Amino acid sequence: MGGFAIALQPLNLGLALGGVLVGTFVGMLPGIGPINAIAILIPVTFATGIPPESALILLVGIYYGSQYGNSISTILLNVPGTASAVVTALDGYEMTKQGRGGPALAMSAISSFVGGTLSIFALVLFAPVLAEWAIRFGPAEYFALMIFAFSALSSFSGGSLVRGLVSTALGLGLATVGLDPNSAVPRYTFGQIELLDGMDFVVVTIGLFAVSEVLQLLEDTKGGQQTAAAYGRVMISAKELAGTTWTMLRSSGLGFLVGVLPGAGSTIASFLAYSTEERIAGTSGRFGQGDIRGVAAPEAANNAAANGAMIPLLTLGVPGSGTTAVLLGALLGFGVTPGPLLIQEQPDLFWGLAASMYVGNVFLLLLNLPLVGVFVKALTLPRWFLIPGVAALAFVAVYAVNGSSFDLMLMTMFGVVGYLMRKMDFPLAPVVLGLVLGPLMEKNLRRAMSLSGGEVNVLFESPIAITLWALALASLAAPTLLRMWTRDVVAEVDAAVPTGVPDEL
Amino acid sequence: MISREQRIVAAALIAAGVAIGVEAMTFEVGFLTDPVGPKALPLVVAALLVFAGSYSLVRPGKAARWPVREAGFRIVAAAGAFVAYAVALPTIGFFLSTTLVVMALSALYGAPRAHGLAAATALSGVLWLLFVRLLALPLPVGDLWIR
Repeated sequence: MGGFAIALQPLNLGLALGGVLVGTFVGMLPGIGPINAIAILIPVTFATGIPPESALILLVGIYYGSQYGNSISTILLNVPGTASAVVTALDGYEMTKQGRGGPALAMSAISSFVGGTLSIFALVLFAPVLAEWAIRFGPAEYFALMIFAFSALSSFSGGSLVRGLVSTALGLGLATVGLDPNSAVPRYTFGQIELLDGMDFVVVTIGLFAVSEVLQLLEDTKGGQQTAAAYGRVMISAKELAGTTWTMLRSSGLGFLVGVLPGAGSTIASFLAYSTEERIAGTSGRFGQGDIRGVAAPEAANNAAANGAMIPLLTLGVPGSGTTAVLLGALLGFGVTPGPLLIQEQPDLFWGLAASMYVGNVFLLLLNLPLVGVFVKALTLPRWFLIPGVAALAFVAVYAVNGSSFDLMLMTMFGVVGYLMRKMDFPLAPVVLGLVLGPLMEKNLRRAMSLSGGEVNVLFESPIAITLWALALASLAAPTLLRMWTRDVVAEVDAAVPTGVPDEL
Repeated sequence: MISREQRIVAAALIAAGVAIGVEAMTFEVGFLTDPVGPKALPLVVAALLVFAGSYSLVRPGKAARWPVREAGFRIVAAAGAFVAYAVALPTIGFFLSTTLVVMALSALYGAPRAHGLAAATALSGVLWLLFVRLLALPLPVGDLWIR
């Protein structure tokens, strides 16, 4: 409860509101994802000197706020704002075509709120338990856990495991650039002084995601700027609400569990929840033809998953997705090392953040029900104004990291690399995870091996480590099982959503 | 059938892997710091890249769909504008270079020239006020104007 004293301070209240507003916008606008907004704001928050908990309230607000906003353009235009809203298009856009866009938007806001709030409840319940348990983790267990995170994201994030592994390898390779902290040997610096400090994750992330998106959108400059269909009043009947209660509850639970696991995240949660509900509904369901449960399930699940993903980030210090990896980078930049001791050592940060997430979800519900019209206006902004604006913000952010224009060169290089990777179907999220988590993985491996005097067996000795290695192996097979369970939905999405899936995890 | 482009990508992955591995062999530590040393992670990266490159020679994925000629030109032009921005920023300063790059980019996105100029000037001005005045984050004024 002490958390609310932090969250309700005027600054933090304002930052939570600002964060969820920005989150709603970037979630809604196709092409600008939460990972861009978070990466751009990190150097700004460093520069303002606000305390870490306030910065985190802002950045995390963008993160979960985007899970609300992403459904707006999906439902009204059939253009998913982020990948985790793709499934919502099936029934959401169908409802709009039937003139029931308003109820679909209301359902999306309410189920987002239910998924969001329940999962914060689960977060504060389970995070301390997991932290208590994770105190036993030594370097060998951390190493195995990080291997699990890498293998899970590699196998889930792209179409192919091999391409996912290439992206992970690229991220790990970038992580080795600079002075090796253990031996002070410079690695891959090519004599450039600017590279001795290593690659800054903000520069790499903005290049890979924001700049490459700016380049990719140039392929079709006529897109964007669409007028949304009429959607009527944004409300649903008590009967519809009652009819979706169980769907929302089940999907929230499912989404939360998926979110806690590394690699999977909101997109997979939304697909799983939709497939599951479709099966449960059986012949009584009209999924794909404007069934309101088809909106409730993915929206509850993707919000719950986003919050669930905060658990491994905060209590283990091991993120499982690109966006949470960026959040880890921000925390480390503020001198906060997330891990089992975070809740005890930085109670203000943990409880303040949790309380602000409750508050933020209330803001989001209030914003999304009556103010949808304002957000929809933003969809009519012309692309020639919006995208160069985002690019300019990205430049300022990258320049602010070190005050050097060398970083702008690097950013452009990563923009081109990111563009080529997108075109050739290499996932981008594993690069960021590899870059942020790579140094920690290497440190834990070296620590484990030093303690054992070079004995490799130490990595596979404890039951926890063995379990984690087994999970890492299992995660390589998991996408096949997942594909079998969600095959029908994936086919429907491919047929119904013209723009394809935005790459963002 | 493997396309020429897929062969290039596979070869590039293998070449990058070999280069990273060869460079890693030069990371010698004079004294014993830890049994793993600075070489291990780069060598794993090198092995992964060589493996993935060889694998994609045998089992190539689906081919990329490249943009049409004009779109390709726009993309190259935009990347060139970003490089020019990085070069020009310290000399001509934030305001002018940002105005120019935003104008160029909005033109590539098909904006009417007058609209682009107005938007670019306004945006640069707002960003300058926001970052320099409000957040006290120094942005380059431009060496050219200081001298």
